[in-house]
Amino acid sequence: MTNEELWQAALGEIELNLSKANFITWFKNTGVLEKKDGFATISVPNGFSKEWLSNKYQKLILKSLRNLSPDIKNVDFVISTTLSSSQIIPSSPNISIQKYTEKQPQLENQAGFEEFKVNKDTNLNPKYTFDSFVVGSFNELAQAAAKAVVQNLGTLYNPLFIYGGVGLGKTHLLQAIGNEVIDQNKKRVKYTSSERFSSELIYSLREGKIDRFKEEYRKIDVLIIDDIQFLAGKEKTQEEFFHIFNALYQKNKQIILSSDRPPKAIATLEERLRSRFEGGMTADISYPDFETRLVIIKTKADEKKYCLPEDVLEYIATNIKKNIRELEGALNRVMAFVQINNTPPSIDDTAKILSSVIAPPRKLISYKNIIKAVSEFYDITTSDLTTKCRRREIVWPRQITMFLMREELKNSYPFIGEKLGGKDHTTVMYACEKLNKEIETNETVQQEINLIKERIYNTL
Amino acid sequence: MMKIFCLQENLKNALATAERIVGKNLNLPILNNLLLKTDKGRLKISSTNLEIGINYWVSGKIEKEGGITVPARILSSFISNLPNKKIELTVKEDVLYINCENFKAQIKGQDIKEYPIIPIIESPLNNQLDKEILKIGLSQVIGGVAISETRPEISGVLFDFNKNYLKLVGTDSFRLAEKTIFNKNDFQQPIIVPQKTIHEVIKILAEKNSENEKNKSLELFLAPGQIMFDFGNIQMISRLIDGQFPDYQQIIPNNFRASAILNKDEINQIIKVLSLFSGKISDIKFIVNSAKKTVNIFAQNREIGENEAQIEGEIEGKDMEVAYNWRYLLDGLNNISTKKVFWGFNDESLPSVLKPVGDEGYVYVVMPVKAV
Repeated sequence: MTNEELWQAALGEIELNLSKANFITWFKNTGVLEKKDGFATISVPNGFSKEWLSNKYQKLILKSLRNLSPDIKNVDFVISTTLSSSQIIPSSPNISIQKYTEKQPQLENQAGFEEFKVNKDTNLNPKYTFDSFVVGSFNELAQAAAKAVVQNLGTLYNPLFIYGGVGLGKTHLLQAIGNEVIDQNKKRVKYTSSERFSSELIYSLREGKIDRFKEEYRKIDVLIIDDIQFLAGKEKTQEEFFHIFNALYQKNKQIILSSDRPPKAIATLEERLRSRFEGGMTADISYPDFETRLVIIKTKADEKKYCLPEDVLEYIATNIKKNIRELEGALNRVMAFVQINNTPPSIDDTAKILSSVIAPPRKLISYKNIIKAVSEFYDITTSDLTTKCRRREIVWPRQITMFLMREELKNSYPFIGEKLGGKDHTTVMYACEKLNKEIETNETVQQEINLIKERIYNTL
Repeated sequence: MMKIFCLQENLKNALATAERIVGKNLNLPILNNLLLKTDKGRLKISSTNLEIGINYWVSGKIEKEGGITVPARILSSFISNLPNKKIELTVKEDVLYINCENFKAQIKGQDIKEYPIIPIIESPLNNQLDKEILKIGLSQVIGGVAISETRPEISGVLFDFNKNYLKLVGTDSFRLAEKTIFNKNDFQQPIIVPQKTIHEVIKILAEKNSENEKNKSLELFLAPGQIMFDFGNIQMISRLIDGQFPDYQQIIPNNFRASAILNKDEINQIIKVLSLFSGKISDIKFIVNSAKKTVNIFAQNREIGENEAQIEGEIEGKDMEVAYNWRYLLDGLNNISTKKVFWGFNDESLPSVLKPVGDEGYVYVVMPVKAV
């Protein structure tokens, strides 16, 4: 029986023993905060309730609780101004204390203080909503999970882990969750990037305000952290995050994370964090298909009141496949062209405008770059790769080098074999075949290859 | 059982204050009552609406201990109409007997055990505040506090305690008032007090009674989510608003496109007159002419007509135009009592500032109205 269910049942019995007036007045907004070692702590909304309940109804409450859960020996009352997630007592039709909610005579043109608008606590941008999020087969799982989480905070999918490549909508989805929760439930939401979390933590440690930092994060109902992969390698941050995670998780507070790769693939992530991330719901966002890309482009064009011919939009959607941000960028470039030249672009014009965006110049690399990147990645020397050594730690990187030289540079097998210490061309063929199979089945290998490729192309 | 004697005047004042927070409670009728109880040689009168609670001690002669709760309005109205003489109060079997000169009354009531218990807070803040200064400060910021509860953090007044000063801030996100009171404070954290509580605090501080004469400072007591104001013979306990007050310091501008030092009464008068001619959005336009050292104020209502006025002053900066909601302006000027007022103008996307010249402790920030 959860604490909520326990309290609801206890209230049922208490209700029978009190007048309706008393029951509604004193038990409104109460709940079981904690049940531990035979002590039940009841949260009450204010000092008056606390005094009244502890003086007049303590025995009755204890008795009702014990009837349901005999291990409870004592009852304690604590003032807690956060409401329990569901109002257990429906408000009576004649509300006693009517909140004075006269609408502020708001004049349309009256400006408000800017800083008060983007809620500085939550860091949420109101433009990211579920309505503006285009759904396709590539992200429908993530979106469905996100919507479900909003309706079942802390209980259904906790934590919710969303991962996917760059520019595919993770931040949009995360912020949409935050905005929706605030609209619907008025809970305490905090959205931040793991990098900001980390720098705030370090700042607090330096200033000696670490307790305040911890307190602030533990008071949250919904914690949203973007780009959690940046925690990798930061031990102290991970440790602090771990404690906050646990504190929130145990109180059934919702945690939502995003990353560019699944938990398994985040290197130097503490095992206990990894297992916690995987314990919730993991949803990926993959690449959008053509139809969805077209819809997204059309939606964005409408939003900005751009009027572009259908075939131009289709051309953009066909050629930019992997990144929704790139889609938007391409759209903007084409629009700029239109505004400068005042004519709608033809397909050829569009092709020219987008030529640099669609096919970015491939950096010219040689096999030496590959060898260097691989040896750095696996922490071996470049000469290790060319020796006859058959130790697994050397063979595996060597095979990867062979695979990459074949795939990226399209070198011939004999050439590759020669450059890697006079190996026979069949050795190289075997390596390439083996790696091809591994990539299809093993995600870790995929990640390794991707990381190495990044190294090759980025450290030029 | 209870039997006490007290003066009508003292009793009347106490009842009037205590009765103010009693609401019309349909759920728990006893909340419509006041609690009368003997307490250490005095009569304690208590009232509550479950958000605010008041304890008011009245001096008198206690012959027998005891107490009762009776409906607030009846008791208060009755007592206030009695002559200012000695009153005898007796309680027997849940009935309050009142004797005064040639008046005899009985009011039916309920046992004190039925009345809610007003919490006692024992931890003092040791931040003593001067009553008079606090009263003035609170009245200068309460007017701009948001009435609606959609943003609870701004539906109260912020008490920002720092080591050597206290800042009181009230805002509704369109205008903001900040008052600085110099005070040595032990407790140095921010708290937000609901506006209804502040209204009551101001009223009590404004009471001209012997207690306020005798005891010039106010003590504050704090508990999680609760605050108690100790006025001497009156204690008011209230809930605190849970939440973070917005970071208001950021919005107070230090730079202005143009600034003027104007005669406060003169500009106040002009705005009042022009408000009759303002448009649907209560806007009046200010046109600053730096070279001529004048500010022209202009109001137009399509149905009524238009009106223009001019005021001279020490003007610096660029020529510019900006429009405001005149109600917000009058609210701000109302709280400025110096002869001259400093007016910092900015264009319509930034706030303007009004400050009393010669008094560093008050700032009124107001957002303009976007031109139609």
